[in-house]
Amino acid sequence: MDSVRRKKSRLFGKKAGIASSLILFVWSAIVIFPLWVMFINSFKDRLSIYKNPFWLPEKWNFKNYTNVLKEGNYLVYFRNSFLVVFLSIFIVLVLGSLVAYALANWKGSIPNILYFIFIAGMMLPIRIASIRLLGIMKSIKLINTIWSLLPIYTAMGLPIAVFVLTEYMRQFPKELMEAAHVDGAGRLKILVRVVMPMMRPALATVAIYNLVPFWNDLWFPLIMISEENQKTLLLGVTRLFGQYQTDWSMVLAVLSLSALPVILLYIFMSKQFIKGLTAGALKG
Amino acid sequence: MKRRLLSWILILLLAVPLLTSCGQTQTQGENTIKPDTTSVAPNQPDTPKADEKVVLTMGSWRADDKAQMDKLLAQYTAEVAPNVEIVFQPTNPPDYNATLRLQLENGTGPDLMYARSYATGLELFEAGYFGDCTNIPGILDNFSDSNLAPWRTPDGKMFAVPFAAVSHAVYYNKDIFDAAGVSIPKTWEEFIQVCETLKSKGYTPLANGLADEWDILECFFLGMLPNYVGGADQRVLYENGTKALNDQNFVDAYTDIASIKPYLPSGFEAVTYNDSQALFSSQGAAMFVDGSWTISVYDDVDFNWGVFAIPARAGKETLITFHPDMAITYNNASKYKKEAMDFLAWLCTEEGVKKASASLPTGFFPMIKFQITLEDVHANEFLALNNGRKTDARFVWPALMDLYTPMDQAVISVIKGDISPQQAADNVNNSRQ
Amino acid sequence: MHSSYNRLEPRGFYWFLYTIPALLVYIFFMAYPLLDSIRLSMYSGTYSNMTFVGLENFRKIFFDSEVSTRYVNALLNTVVFFLYHMLVQNVLGIIFAVLLTQRGKERRNSIYQTIIFIPTTLAILVTGYLWKLILNPVWSKNLLDAIGLSALAQPWLGKESTALTAVSLVSCWQWVGIPMMMFVAALRNISEDIFEAANIEGANRWQVFWRIQLPLIKPVVGIVAILTFVNNFNAFDVVFAMETANGAPGYSTDILGTLFYRVGIAGQHPIGIPNPGLGAAIATITFLMLIAGVIPVLLKTRTKE
Repeated sequence: MDSVRRKKSRLFGKKAGIASSLILFVWSAIVIFPLWVMFINSFKDRLSIYKNPFWLPEKWNFKNYTNVLKEGNYLVYFRNSFLVVFLSIFIVLVLGSLVAYALANWKGSIPNILYFIFIAGMMLPIRIASIRLLGIMKSIKLINTIWSLLPIYTAMGLPIAVFVLTEYMRQFPKELMEAAHVDGAGRLKILVRVVMPMMRPALATVAIYNLVPFWNDLWFPLIMISEENQKTLLLGVTRLFGQYQTDWSMVLAVLSLSALPVILLYIFMSKQFIKGLTAGALKG
Repeated sequence: MKRRLLSWILILLLAVPLLTSCGQTQTQGENTIKPDTTSVAPNQPDTPKADEKVVLTMGSWRADDKAQMDKLLAQYTAEVAPNVEIVFQPTNPPDYNATLRLQLENGTGPDLMYARSYATGLELFEAGYFGDCTNIPGILDNFSDSNLAPWRTPDGKMFAVPFAAVSHAVYYNKDIFDAAGVSIPKTWEEFIQVCETLKSKGYTPLANGLADEWDILECFFLGMLPNYVGGADQRVLYENGTKALNDQNFVDAYTDIASIKPYLPSGFEAVTYNDSQALFSSQGAAMFVDGSWTISVYDDVDFNWGVFAIPARAGKETLITFHPDMAITYNNASKYKKEAMDFLAWLCTEEGVKKASASLPTGFFPMIKFQITLEDVHANEFLALNNGRKTDARFVWPALMDLYTPMDQAVISVIKGDISPQQAADNVNNSRQ
Repeated sequence: MHSSYNRLEPRGFYWFLYTIPALLVYIFFMAYPLLDSIRLSMYSGTYSNMTFVGLENFRKIFFDSEVSTRYVNALLNTVVFFLYHMLVQNVLGIIFAVLLTQRGKERRNSIYQTIIFIPTTLAILVTGYLWKLILNPVWSKNLLDAIGLSALAQPWLGKESTALTAVSLVSCWQWVGIPMMMFVAALRNISEDIFEAANIEGANRWQVFWRIQLPLIKPVVGIVAILTFVNNFNAFDVVFAMETANGAPGYSTDILGTLFYRVGIAGQHPIGIPNPGLGAAIATITFLMLIAGVIPVLLKTRTKE
């Protein structure tokens, strides 16, 4: 009897399997088609893109890529973006975890107030504060350096970090912390040794959530930085946007290259992410 | 336990300033490469002035011109002012006004910068950010009154040095015109006839679209408007309210712009300015009503093309919209006002403008009184359209800038057929305060 | 055991120490500049010349017909834009997550997961351009004719009736990876035993989803919903990249983010003189709406615990 039922549900599973494969396949096509358009058009000329925008170029033009690599500036832009984005994310994760750990364990009304103060930051467009931030950066002499972006991004990332990490931290089984505490571990040690490793999915979520807007931010570099060797990648790319004309083939080449590290990082992190999950004993 | 926690926090607190100081040392390192006169001078008062190099920055919305401007500015350093280096730092155009303003308000603006004409530029001068250019040698003598006007305050002060003007016309594909057996239209009626013939032979007559919104107004409607309302002397009557913005002239203009709808590309609602250029250059459309700034886009196309004036209705006079576009000014808060003003004075000399116009991108015309010869065939073709014709700035720019958006929306709606020409004219007239 | 833990429970001040570094950065670089900018909503004029006008800016937003027409239009568009994300982006996110957490297909799952996430990593500058190219019949007509879908060759982004939908869907396409990831993480945390039990009970896939998976990932659904709400009420880039700062055509894609940018930051093209006070007032109202929407939800989940 039991085996019959099992068979039935597996049969059903097969049909559902086909449907699910179909859904995933169709969506992937919708994702890959624009990427294909991006890739092939990055090998064309400014105007030849439009002769046949969705198919292989008649004449492959590698100049876009060689220009990017030849022009030392792009490598500098790249380094700047990399440095500032990854440092910001690292700081966000560290500071955010400390706050979340405290807020999840601290009882009373003060932590609730602090929590709301932090997440209120998600609800206003930070652009509104541009003029003040510009003034602050000027007074602490960070203007025109990529370091002006570090505290801004950190502050921008904190609300989401506090929000997501605190929500996850609340679900964290208290028994595990207790056990570690009985074993004589300090609270900070518990955070670093016990809680953080099991929070990997949440940390990865926060990291990825912030990685994208930081990496692709144009506004703050635009108003803070005019010095050539302090520009971020996206700001550097805007040089290709003219008043009346834009060299899209070149833009696509630069931005294809700029997307690569983020994609690679994602692939790397999502593996870590799965590893962390299978190793962890955290159950919902 | 607590001590460990505290030391942790201390490390974190230290980390931020440490990182930031890192940034500072880095910039200081860069400053030594390009010495800063104010910091060097007090320490070494004996240093001869010729050894010091002053570095000025120039802000601009012309990101396209980076290469040409770098060349021009290098020329200035090499030939005119060996101790001054000007670095061209353009911003992409949609962000120029906003970022320039933020930087000026915080005292971090560039030393020299491009100034928009009329109200936009004037406002920044009145706020005290732009320097007073009235006393720059040559400015009042070497430019005509009409060329000075866009950058002059009501009380006669100059807030920028005129640099370049742009023109508006119809680009046409000569090969397609020959193949279709049509010639340059002399009147609006002929123009529509040409469109009709091209369409019947399977061509898309016009490349223009509506998606970006600004181009249909600035290039097309304001390009043809002087044909309906007349030149500067008539424009003034509209500005001071003597004539109404919904008079017969305007209704005619809206009627005619609405009549181009059948000749636009299919899906013109989603055609961007970039798409229009691509359409014309790939021979997907026979004509493109656009500004002179686009000339260089078609440098390497594989067909023959030319330009003609947007024609007036039969029996009316054809005028040209020749628009004062760019001027350069200096920052009132700059450390190097004198050097900046010296550069501007150079742009008021025949020598300077000759050099500049050799570097200016094609389609931007010098505004100085002296005869400057241009090399590009198409640029000269554009300039030749002015011969024997009256010219004026874009209608709304001098005094009616508030009407820009209502007029833009009216033009778009009337082309789509959502409103009648009379309604379009009334809408704009009613939005006048 | 529980009591022994409680006995060692540190006092509030101890926990406060943990929040100090973040608070310093947050207050100095976020809270102060933001609050100070909200103050601007009581002023008019440009930065160089501001005058105190009290609540005049707020009155304008609701009662001055010129401003309020634009504001109400932008608000309604924002609500539609948000609903698309809620219904399309998040539902697709759950569907993908469920499909991609099927056991025994780890390799396939990780490949699809990566593909679906890729758009999230791209700058909107690029994705906006690519979709403008694809959704433009001038360029895509030949391709659509070739695959027999000529009817799809419409100026989707140029018609007032379809532009907002098109822009919203492109935005969903780009961001669906994020809720998907969060749901995948949550679904993977569900114990195997529960599925075993369900399987033995003879529950089908559908029942497993509605009765077991969805209730168990409810907290994450809550987080995702709040993030969607907050992010989309402040959205800006996708409209700016695809339909200009005006929310073309005819303001049909104008959302609160673009209205705020036009009024408060850039100023209306081509004059470009911003009105920071009015801009700040627009942002302040959005802020209050978000607070009003988010806090009750959070309090509710809090009291449940």
